[in-house]
Amino acid sequence: MLEVSNLSVSYGGLRALTDVSLSVAEGQFVTVVGPNGAGKTTLFKTISGVVRPAAGKITFFGKDLATISASERAHLGIAHVPEGRQVFKTLTVRENLEMGAYPAAGQAAWSRTLDRIHTLFPILHERAGQLAGTLSGGEQQMVAIGRGLACAPRLLMLDEPSMGLAPAVTDTIFERVQQIHKEDGVTILLVEQRVAEALELSDHGYVLETGHMVLDGPYETLLADDRVRKSYLGLT
Amino acid sequence: MVGPRRRRNQVDIESLIENVANAVTAGLTIGCIYGLMCIGLGLIFGIMKVVNFAQGEILMLGMFASLYLVTGGGILAFLGPYIGPFVGALLAGPIVFVVGALIHKFLISRVSGLKTAGTIDDGHFGQLIVTLGISLILQNGGMIVFGSTPFTVQTPLSSSAIEVAVGYGDASVFLNKAKLIACAVAIAVAFALYMVMEFTRIGKALRAAADNPTAATYMGINVDGYYRMAFGMGCGITAIAGGLMATYLSFGPFVGFDYVIIMYSGVVLGGIGSIMGAFWGGLTVGFVQQVSALVLPPQLQNAAIFIVFLLIVLLRPQGLFGRSAERA
Repeated sequence: MLEVSNLSVSYGGLRALTDVSLSVAEGQFVTVVGPNGAGKTTLFKTISGVVRPAAGKITFFGKDLATISASERAHLGIAHVPEGRQVFKTLTVRENLEMGAYPAAGQAAWSRTLDRIHTLFPILHERAGQLAGTLSGGEQQMVAIGRGLACAPRLLMLDEPSMGLAPAVTDTIFERVQQIHKEDGVTILLVEQRVAEALELSDHGYVLETGHMVLDGPYETLLADDRVRKSYLGLT
Repeated sequence: MVGPRRRRNQVDIESLIENVANAVTAGLTIGCIYGLMCIGLGLIFGIMKVVNFAQGEILMLGMFASLYLVTGGGILAFLGPYIGPFVGALLAGPIVFVVGALIHKFLISRVSGLKTAGTIDDGHFGQLIVTLGISLILQNGGMIVFGSTPFTVQTPLSSSAIEVAVGYGDASVFLNKAKLIACAVAIAVAFALYMVMEFTRIGKALRAAADNPTAATYMGINVDGYYRMAFGMGCGITAIAGGLMATYLSFGPFVGFDYVIIMYSGVVLGGIGSIMGAFWGGLTVGFVQQVSALVLPPQLQNAAIFIVFLLIVLLRPQGLFGRSAERA
């Protein structure tokens, strides 16, 4: 469904991504791992249209995204849960979720998805009337994921959902993400620094280093790779 | 000898009470209209983070829009001098909304919104120059088009009043009918805007776009489109206030300058970024201005505004209604 081919991105002469290719098939769980500054977030921002590519092509269900503006991409069913959560701090939890359901597909499915979000994250039901900025980091991450789910996405992109969270909270988040994938059949593209957990969940993994895709393959292949074992998993 | 003196004391107290009561009611009525005027500026700043130096001229455009609708061969002339001026003020809203949206499309959008987000100054220098330029062009353009003779939207209501007894001797309050209706219209418009911002999809999307434009884009919200709407709405609302003020005020192309200062103090008092706070800020400014007339000569009324302004900002730097949504 999502094809990224030979993508290059620069920020004012500074190359962030070089010749990156990636593909996500419907129903898949794909993970991109890599160290800080590898370009993972840039890759996501380019897919959702906030950053313009210097070269290369992105297609979604065969549709070239080059001419489609960032806000319209959400209406195609691409949900981007950004790095650092980026909830609407001055809106209530409920309003945050409503804004997630801004595209027509999300509005149509609203009552059903709201129930689902509350089942996955009961705390959001409790905190419905509270300003999202007053929540804890973990709760804000739940709002961000719930907001992504609310648009009834065809592709859910999660940018480092574990960032800045306590290990126990991260485990919950990962569990929920897996549930969303397995039970709701949502296609997921995940960027993570917690490589072991992330790869374990996924069907296919990519390793991004300093703007280059250096390796890709199914979980088992990556796990067998010496570089991955040494650099990311701390195994020998 | 005792009788006449007591009589005179009572008259003194009566007239004092009458003066205070009249100043307070005038302060409240004019304050509500100022409040509406401030909401316009507060909306633009609150949503787009653009400081619009041309907001005074937008007020002036609202006055002239209402004037041309209502008087002479205006299309609302048939409504007569009683209803016409107020309908004209309300209609000035959509007209100036369009003017504002066009100003945004061709000028403001080039120095604001997602285009300048993340640049060194977030576009603020550009916005300062552009809005200041628009202000000068509208002032001097207004001079060419409208001339310099002062105008007012004539209504017999502005020279008639309702007399209400305060309940002490013969003291009574005179409520100017034009100002009273203008105040009611201002409250109604402010309340309608509040409902739109709080409970409608458009209002929530506007707040989301203000809160975090990038995240709003991820939600599928066309942020630049909503910014254009916010700018138009901000202009339209100040224009309605202008149309209302035009019923009791004589104005010319340079009238905006006097009021832009009031608007800024109102918005800052209310708490920068708080849209409805701007209403209460404007109300405070209007109230202080009118009540200070009891003890100060008219030339010092604006000084009184700024003394109160400084005091409030000293005690509550975040403004009356500024609040923090951050977790401590």
